[in-house]
Amino acid sequence: MSAARPRISRRAAPLAYGFLTVVTLLALTPTAWVMVSSLKTGTQVFTGAGVLPDPVTLQGYVDAFTQIELHHYVLNTLLYATLGSAGAIAAAFLAAYPLARYAFRGRSTLVAGFSLALAIPVVGLATPEFFIMRELGLFDSRAGMVIFYAALQFPFTFVVLRSYLLSTPRELEEAAAMDGAGYFTTMVRVVLPLTRPALATVAVVSFVQIWNEFFFANLFLVSQEHQNVQLALAGFRSQFGFNVTGAIAGATIVMLVPIIVFVALQRQVIAGLTAGAVK
Amino acid sequence: MGAAPIPRGARRAVAVSLLPGAALFATFFLVPLGVLLVTAFSRWGGLELAWTGLENYRRMLSDPVFFAALGNTLFYAAAAVAVQVPLGVAAGMVLALRPRGWEAFRTVIFVPFVISGAAYALVFSMFYNARAGLLNNALAALGLPGDRDWLFDTTTARWAVAGTFVFVVGFVMVLVMAEIAAIPDEVYEAAQIDGASSWRQAVHITLPLLRTVIGTVILIRLLVDIGMFDVVFILTAGGPDNATATLALYAYRAYLNGEWGYANAVGSTILVVGMVLIVAVRRLFRVGEGR
Repeated sequence: MSAARPRISRRAAPLAYGFLTVVTLLALTPTAWVMVSSLKTGTQVFTGAGVLPDPVTLQGYVDAFTQIELHHYVLNTLLYATLGSAGAIAAAFLAAYPLARYAFRGRSTLVAGFSLALAIPVVGLATPEFFIMRELGLFDSRAGMVIFYAALQFPFTFVVLRSYLLSTPRELEEAAAMDGAGYFTTMVRVVLPLTRPALATVAVVSFVQIWNEFFFANLFLVSQEHQNVQLALAGFRSQFGFNVTGAIAGATIVMLVPIIVFVALQRQVIAGLTAGAVK
Repeated sequence: MGAAPIPRGARRAVAVSLLPGAALFATFFLVPLGVLLVTAFSRWGGLELAWTGLENYRRMLSDPVFFAALGNTLFYAAAAVAVQVPLGVAAGMVLALRPRGWEAFRTVIFVPFVISGAAYALVFSMFYNARAGLLNNALAALGLPGDRDWLFDTTTARWAVAGTFVFVVGFVMVLVMAEIAAIPDEVYEAAQIDGASSWRQAVHITLPLLRTVIGTVILIRLLVDIGMFDVVFILTAGGPDNATATLALYAYRAYLNGEWGYANAVGSTILVVGMVLIVAVRRLFRVGEGR
């Protein structure tokens, strides 16, 4: 950061902190309150007495695993998020490389098509997607969900990877070609390692997006044994009266996963969202 | 950087490497679009398919519930543009002035953005709860009437739903911060020679340069709103009396009823409204035209 940048003045600082505190409170209060409530007893939650847990109990967390069996939904969701992201990244990298490097007929059509898919409000396509999943025998199946999520994340992943490749020099690839390396050898041995920062970025963002996905999970997954954590959360809500502390503790865990991923890998998340947005 | 022609002998390899992406794109974007375009003009319940021309659209335009859903969807979009975008821009501009502790503020303000709609629905079902919710308890503690059922009162339900997302400003904030970081130093150096205060520099130099990024965030936000579903579906199921229903929820109900053609007519409306908004916002904010 250079000296030329305007910095906050001593006089304006209190105003700035006041504003930032208000924004933080508005953004975080309901969530923080619910997370804190995950340590309360059911009685305290229902009466709404006191903001802080009194007494503190971990019963909700015990119930989340013993009664709600959260681990089962967590495993499904981890499967969808890791394999779905991996599929999207593999397909996107394989497509982004030639579309960033070579001129050929149909290139601009493919780039425009893949990129425009990012701007489609996909919920508008709900019924056709359901129809296609059913016709392909992918409805209510774990494999189907992985394939679908790979497709859903493909446009974003493609756009970010291609723009990254466009901005990287190609001397190393040319040198590899001189040495007689073939197309796939160059791609895997030379280009892939260079693309690592962008790959990390899209992996983190797409993991979080699949972890949080509700609409299509709700559309495609009927059997409880295939459902993801978001469907489990939506289920808690309708069973609010049954085990409220278990539900709150479960929701807290489901929220904490992307929060931890974000806090740990903040740079990648922000870089990824920024890169995806400016295209 | 100009692209080179495909080297001799690599044509097949290029085709092979394009295949997985093209297959995903065709299967889950192109074909569904095609199915949508045909069946929006049909009666379709999975098995029988009968061309009915504009019948679905006629029905849509004569259904008050459709207009309620459209109105709510636009209301949510307007709430986001009126509250979320200005708050996020302001937060990004303040943090770009690097007050001490700015990184901590960036982290905590961004956190709510990575929480899912389903989790938010659960959070706010508790927060707005008539008896035990924090909102009513806080109001009561202040001596105000604290017994309103925010989500199930037709006068407050829409506002309560908007309250679940308008303060999630982290995404707008980080885009604005990235944009400010990309402004060249020289732009500020000139102003400082003229003795302009930080405040004047923010308003007269930074803000005008944010025009494009503000357009971009409005665009992204509108695309999210036009497909808004999760929070409303779980929190209120569109009620009370459709006071919170969105277009996506309205289409979903038609789908559940087995009226797939009709659902697709509504779906096509979502896509068209989305496209119109994209074009309008891009024009208005000159997105994609360079600086």
